[in-house]
Amino acid sequence: MTRMQKGLTIGLLCLFLAGLSGPLWAQAPPENSTGEVIALLKEQNSALSRDLRQIQREIAALRADLDKPGVKDVFAGIGYIFGLFGAAAFAASRRKG
Amino acid sequence: MMHISDGVLPLSVTLGGYAVSAGLAAWSARRIHSRDLPKVAVVTSAFFVASLVHIPFGPTSAHLLLPGLAGALLGPAAFLSIGLGLLLQSILFQFGGITALGANAVMMGVPAVICGWFFQHFKGRTIARQAVTGGLAGALGTVLSAVFLAGLLMTGGEDFFGVAKIALIAHVPVIVIEGVVSGFTIGFLARVKPALLLPVRSFHD
Repeated sequence: MTRMQKGLTIGLLCLFLAGLSGPLWAQAPPENSTGEVIALLKEQNSALSRDLRQIQREIAALRADLDKPGVKDVFAGIGYIFGLFGAAAFAASRRKG
Repeated sequence: MMHISDGVLPLSVTLGGYAVSAGLAAWSARRIHSRDLPKVAVVTSAFFVASLVHIPFGPTSAHLLLPGLAGALLGPAAFLSIGLGLLLQSILFQFGGITALGANAVMMGVPAVICGWFFQHFKGRTIARQAVTGGLAGALGTVLSAVFLAGLLMTGGEDFFGVAKIALIAHVPVIVIEGVVSGFTIGFLARVKPALLLPVRSFHD
């Protein structure tokens, strides 16, 4: 058997299987390569979409974290407050002196 | 939680809030003696940072507000302090909108000044009484802020009693915790540095 012949047989087999009606599939779970491939693809698909959903959730969490004020903002604010009151104290001392 | 965002209030109330808070800030600034500036600065930064202290409460969380404590420590100067704290919070933390700043300052600052009067009037002489009065002032500050919030939102077309009820119920844990925090802080200050609890000297003293 040449390679070509082998491929042709498999192709014919696939066509034959594809032509089978639905109820027959339901009765007998696929024991052949096409069924396995489809099952594998479905499994991979669901795994991928699960991962994708998780990544999307992580992105949303990151975005929420970005909205939260960080340490930098806190110290910036404290610096502003002390700086402004320092300037006010300086102005007051100049006015008195 | 207790910040009004942009676009909630009608324009007249927004402008009115700015006008009232500008006047009160000027009055407040006149009441600060230059020797008290460091104290005002420290209380302002404490107020600024306190809003980041989140208290988990069921599915939601509330954060400290501390208008009562600021008022008890600063008296009339608390208005300026809270206005500056809110300005920086809205710029740096995106708490409350910049257009609603005037209304927010009135909502938090006026209760603070009232609490300051309440504390100075009823603090008595003993440490225990000062701590209890401070705690009451802390709780009162949050209650009054919630009432002011309801009053301001009413101008935006909300039902006063409905909003007031929701705001007060949502803030019950905050009110309790503010009272406890303020009471302990004032009790501690009364023990170690009672001079901090004297009324802020006015500019002309």
